[in-house]
Amino acid sequence: MVQIGDTIPSATFAYIPYTPELEDIAACGAPSKLSTDSWKGKKVVLFAVPGAFTPTCHVSHLPSYVKHYSELKAKGVDEIVCIATNDMFVMSAWGRANGTADKIIMASDTDAKFSAALGHTVDLSGAGFGTRTGRYALVIDNLKVVVLEVETNPSAMEVTSAEHILSKL
Amino acid sequence: MMSAQVGNKIPDGSFPYIPYTPGLADGKSCGVPSKVTTDDWKGKRVVIFAVPGAFTPTCHVSHLPGFVSKYDELKAKGVDVIACLASNDHWVMSGWGRVEGVEDKILMLSDVDGAWSEKLGLKRPDGRTKRYAIIIDDLVIKSLEVSWHALFLSQIAMDTALMRILGGKG
Repeated sequence: MVQIGDTIPSATFAYIPYTPELEDIAACGAPSKLSTDSWKGKKVVLFAVPGAFTPTCHVSHLPSYVKHYSELKAKGVDEIVCIATNDMFVMSAWGRANGTADKIIMASDTDAKFSAALGHTVDLSGAGFGTRTGRYALVIDNLKVVVLEVETNPSAMEVTSAEHILSKL
Repeated sequence: MMSAQVGNKIPDGSFPYIPYTPGLADGKSCGVPSKVTTDDWKGKRVVIFAVPGAFTPTCHVSHLPGFVSKYDELKAKGVDVIACLASNDHWVMSGWGRVEGVEDKILMLSDVDGAWSEKLGLKRPDGRTKRYAIIIDDLVIKSLEVSWHALFLSQIAMDTALMRILGGKG
């Protein structure tokens, strides 16, 4: 289990970089990769959700980060990243459905590898969803975990909301 | 093992999905999960088109809008149910359907783990469904178009399926 003070595991996430043409939901964008190496020297807020377009995540989680974007940036956050096990096309579409534009990088934690390395996955095979990321939020400073919040109930959003993370910055 | 052939009965299947209700239109609320089973299709004419992934290129740009625009013609040809199938979960399928404005015209079904498509011999090695269109009459396969190629030729397979139904040959 990852702890505060640890260096984050190295990882690469598939994602579709935002471009203005993507405002047309029918456009698909160009796949790319986001590496944790790119976070050297940066302050990054990363939050993970069990699934795109699912209740809780969709209704409250992602919108809270969109809403508090400016405040997060004002606290020195360089990048805000949302991950789930959904593929990058689904993540891109979910972001666009929530108006994330270029504010939040919507990335795919394929097979929950990064989340598994942190010790935060949830087995939803019983519901037919396979292994998903848990619901957690990290503040990473120059690749070190400085804030770690984990929802003990993956359907709730209390300590992983943008509001709560802001209070920790 | 390929079991999908014209004249075969389709395998049993159960697909999670989120039924459309007008409250879902604003894209923010999530709906209530339910299931469609192949038993529901007894005595009915059903058109299913399966795609490797929601929101992916080709799928997103070409197929779903095509079936939405042909909805009235398909119903006029006696099609009772039009369904889109992919291995994405039902929340993603519902989100995709709402983004494309399908409303209650097309059932956005989740083929969990590609299991039903696998019974038809139509699951890809990566776990996703192949791209195919199938016409079913009272649980018997009447027509099957499978795209063995990506992109360009897949559009031809889908158009062929549509023409077959609309031309009364399916």
